[in-house]
Amino acid sequence: MENVETKLREEAKKLLAEKKADIIVGYEKGTLPLLAPPCFITDPEDAEKLVWNAFCVQNLAKFVHDLLSQHRESQKRLKPADRTKKTVGVVARGCTTRSLVIHLQEKQYNRDDIVILGVPCTGYVDRKKMDALIAGEEILEASVAGDSVLVKTAAGERKIPLKEALADNCLACRFNNPLISDLMTGDHAPAMDVTQEYARVDEFEKLSPDERWNYFTREMDKCVRCYACRNACPSCYCKVCFVEQSQPRWVGIGEDRSDTQVFQLMRLFHMAGRCVDCGSCIAVCPMGVDLRRFLKKLDKDALELFEHRAGISPDEPAMLGAFKESDKEDFIFTPK
Amino acid sequence: MTENQPVEGWRPRIVAIVCNWCTYAGADLAGISRIQYPPNVRIIRVPCTGRINPFFIVKALQEGADGVLVSGCHPGECHYLTGNLSAKRKFAMLKRFLSYIGVEGDRTMFTWVSASEGERFAQVIKAVTAAVTALGPAGKLVKKWQLLR
Repeated sequence: MENVETKLREEAKKLLAEKKADIIVGYEKGTLPLLAPPCFITDPEDAEKLVWNAFCVQNLAKFVHDLLSQHRESQKRLKPADRTKKTVGVVARGCTTRSLVIHLQEKQYNRDDIVILGVPCTGYVDRKKMDALIAGEEILEASVAGDSVLVKTAAGERKIPLKEALADNCLACRFNNPLISDLMTGDHAPAMDVTQEYARVDEFEKLSPDERWNYFTREMDKCVRCYACRNACPSCYCKVCFVEQSQPRWVGIGEDRSDTQVFQLMRLFHMAGRCVDCGSCIAVCPMGVDLRRFLKKLDKDALELFEHRAGISPDEPAMLGAFKESDKEDFIFTPK
Repeated sequence: MTENQPVEGWRPRIVAIVCNWCTYAGADLAGISRIQYPPNVRIIRVPCTGRINPFFIVKALQEGADGVLVSGCHPGECHYLTGNLSAKRKFAMLKRFLSYIGVEGDRTMFTWVSASEGERFAQVIKAVTAAVTALGPAGKLVKKWQLLR
């Protein structure tokens, strides 16, 4: 990991100095333990701030889209001759590149608007899992050493195996290495165990409809509608989200439970064929709603019905924007 | 829960979202031919099934529809050539996802009825009404005030 970090800083510095990128989106050392927040670097000297470790959680593709769309908006007011091009460099692991591919598939920006600094990924630490492992003590400091995380609490130092603290989506990650990249730093990371990818979905499908409904309502009752999941999701980039639209108002804003259920249901459904399982929504959820159980189902269906995996190839069209003659029709109702 | 006990005299409310070119004309034909079918269905005409946002279906369920029927042209016969083919993908995903979260599968139905199939339209409505009646009043995803009606 250390040499990946050094290489990353070098490459980022070079990109900025040579003006191949106007801004680099990466992770920096934050003020809180277990969390490396995103950072935006424009000065080559600041490239030293970049870090790459198991505390880098957020999917940075979100910020790439934000930066590029804001830039495009700002250019509209200028005369064509005065318009400039902005290139965004991004530190990207497997899931981040998949999100970038989705943006490219959906024609959000061009391939030459971004420079991808690929990094191998072995998973990130799940804050909620870690809290459970150390049984509620306050974490003062944390660092990664080899295969374990060193956590300093008021009671002393503890060594926790990295494997136990990794997020669920990382443990079952199929694409932990960048799928597309301009510069690859470090060697490819070893593959994760994908046999259990849909285990929780399969288990849930076996329950009766009422049990499933009870689980769904219980999870959605936790939701406080802070929309952090939407704000963190790289695939949620609508200028006006349906929850905030007022003409028509799609989702009520009262205390009716069904409004929250419908909001969650539709946000989840918008991820059909577009969720890369980066876990950003789950990481930012303050209430711990089990979103992944539902997102994985969409992923599984997309694979079963249309042999589609989200964000694999930039040349492929978006799943719901295309069709094949051979698409299954078994769900179509025929009266006897 | 009280939601699945049929109230005395309860009849299902079914929203049928149909395409202008095939099923709406098919319903018209059923009417002209004086074919009898249950009166529980409210027809909403849209230009094409491709126009139907999956949200329309969820919203209909939330606002108190006991069942939602979506019907358009047969594959290959779309007035806009491929509208119903891309709609099919959306509906396949939506139907599976709704039943995954526990909404009964028969509450959302998808079918094709062409402009010449008045008879089939009546059959579809009969079958859908029977299926939804068997399920009873909707209680999932429904707004509170709709449950109190």
